[in-house]
Amino acid sequence: MSAVAARNTASATERYRAVFDARVRKDDALTAWRRDALQRFVAQGFPTLRDEDWKYTNLRRLESRSFAPADPAPGAIDESLWIANVGMRIVLVNGRAHPGLSTTSPQPPGVTLLTLGQWMENSPNDVAAFLASNSPAVSAFHSMNDAFSDDGIVIDIGESVQLDQPIYVVHQWTGGITSAMSHPRIFLRAAPNSRCVLIEHYVGAADSETLTNSVVTLNIGAGASVTHYRVQQESTRSFHIGHVTARLERDSRYVCQDVALGASLARTGIVATLDGPNADANLRGLFLPNGSQHLDTYTLVDHAAPHTQSNEEYRGVADGRGRGVYRGKVIVRKDAQKIDSRQSSRNLLLSPTAEIDTRPELEIYAHDVKCSHGATTGQLDATALFYLRSRGLSESQARSLLIRAFAESILSTIELPSLRSHLERQLHDRFAVQEISP
Amino acid sequence: MLKIENLQVKAGEKLILKGLNLEVKAGEVHAIMGPNGSGKSTLVQVLAGREGYEVIGGSATYNGKDLLALAPEERAREGVFLAFQYPVEIPGVNNVYLLKAGLNAIRKHRGEQEVDAFEFLGLVREKMKLMQMDESFLNRGVNEGFSGGEKKRNEILQMAVLEPALALLDETDSGLDIDALRIVASGVNSLRRADRAILMVTHYQRLLDYIEPDRVHVLSGGEILKSGDKSLALELEKRGYDWIKQGAAAA
Repeated sequence: MSAVAARNTASATERYRAVFDARVRKDDALTAWRRDALQRFVAQGFPTLRDEDWKYTNLRRLESRSFAPADPAPGAIDESLWIANVGMRIVLVNGRAHPGLSTTSPQPPGVTLLTLGQWMENSPNDVAAFLASNSPAVSAFHSMNDAFSDDGIVIDIGESVQLDQPIYVVHQWTGGITSAMSHPRIFLRAAPNSRCVLIEHYVGAADSETLTNSVVTLNIGAGASVTHYRVQQESTRSFHIGHVTARLERDSRYVCQDVALGASLARTGIVATLDGPNADANLRGLFLPNGSQHLDTYTLVDHAAPHTQSNEEYRGVADGRGRGVYRGKVIVRKDAQKIDSRQSSRNLLLSPTAEIDTRPELEIYAHDVKCSHGATTGQLDATALFYLRSRGLSESQARSLLIRAFAESILSTIELPSLRSHLERQLHDRFAVQEISP
Repeated sequence: MLKIENLQVKAGEKLILKGLNLEVKAGEVHAIMGPNGSGKSTLVQVLAGREGYEVIGGSATYNGKDLLALAPEERAREGVFLAFQYPVEIPGVNNVYLLKAGLNAIRKHRGEQEVDAFEFLGLVREKMKLMQMDESFLNRGVNEGFSGGEKKRNEILQMAVLEPALALLDETDSGLDIDALRIVASGVNSLRRADRAILMVTHYQRLLDYIEPDRVHVLSGGEILKSGDKSLALELEKRGYDWIKQGAAAA
């Protein structure tokens, strides 16, 4: 810790001033707002291990790198990595919206989709005002996103609109790209009693070395329902920082399914605020660190209103020297009575050098609440392994089956067949058996 | 088919089997009875290849092969089957999937063609009728949420599908009510064949009313103290185990 404490993290953020200045030439409200954000970012510095929320994630490797906004000219794109046949597709290539690859028109009635980059181009002052009122820049990465974000999507789902087809956002890095960063931004407003599904898919070509620092803001109106899938398949040489903020009004429902497969270092932060009675948040996640991957998940569920429910179920499977982190915090505010909150974190270690740190936490300031949490970390069940082998399955086949069964249970609630089979295929490939197929 | 000679097994520091001898021939059904802690379950688990035991002496030869040198899956593929006393619940691994993977592993080992899905389902349905199992079992997780009786029936269903040459039944009667016991026993009886041996371990004589053994052995303190025909079981039922232990101590 002493070495960490002695490090001047501000210097790592300081160098982004030059990156910023090299690009920004305009003199409008948006530029001014971005410049403020940059100041904030430089002053905050990257989080360190001393920051309680970042206790298990060392950003030294990220800090030692310099990233710059990517050249928007797209290289080769491997569309086969995308989830097939799933709704309206919006593709961002190297951080910039790519209309040619997107399939958003015609827009369904009651739905407005706008690319942030275009909006910034057309009405920077409006965007500045919008960002100012929709951007609680809580962390350095948030500020960094504010300063550098130049594209993303603004989605508005009208009142009572039931959007059947998912909104599928692909964040694609092209092959061979290095030291590039993108700060995509998604705003989604689900008006009262509307329903929609948002899929975010982060895909990196195998050899890309990049930083993705995304910020997603969800405003879920009364009685609305938002199902949000995040599939992170960045290249294993890359960094991925994702921050999701969801605010739930009364009787609304938010389901988040986060699957972390890629990146060298990834951190997903999900903050859900239950702001009205009967709001219900269901957060599920799976992280599979392998090799030397470090995959960190942080969740904060804030029961700000009485009669609210939350459920969290996270699973990690760590192999090689992989390291997983799950920190889940639940806050029950004073006078937020009749709360039902459950948290479960179950983890599997497949090698002696793998590590998973898990810490569910409760902070309760009300008295009439029902909160439970539990965490387990262990190895594959020896009895189950023996049982399968005693039926003729090889050890590797038995292991593969048990690992996949453990991981797939998190995916069992996914209602989109194409997404589910995409993820099951990833698990199958990750934990493949070379021998007989059943 | 199975020849066990002077088998000595430790679990941790404790010596559990202290020189056990047993021979089971094809077509025979043997019952091993004995008080709790006598080493009955250890014996069948060691034969099936369960880890956690240390064989410190003796041998177990199966069809001329050194059984103890084989991995659990190799034993299974060679035709050894263990019906577990406590079948394991494995959520997320489908019953059919396991059965089919097991059967195909065995068939492949024998140099036979793997069964296709259609053929396989036909086979399983037929065996399920035998065990009076509902079709819904098929698509559930292995033993997931099964009652005690359902789990035991599922074990015998697996045995019926995998068609072992040597079946080891570990307390298959424990936890069964009389109806479930009848179903399980009739399942086992239907699997008796001239080229198949069955070694069943039980605490109670009750099972032997339904599955009639050719030989009965009394295992106590890690050794077989007495062997006989099925009348020995009846005698045990009447007199308990103490007279045998005393007889052994005197001898």
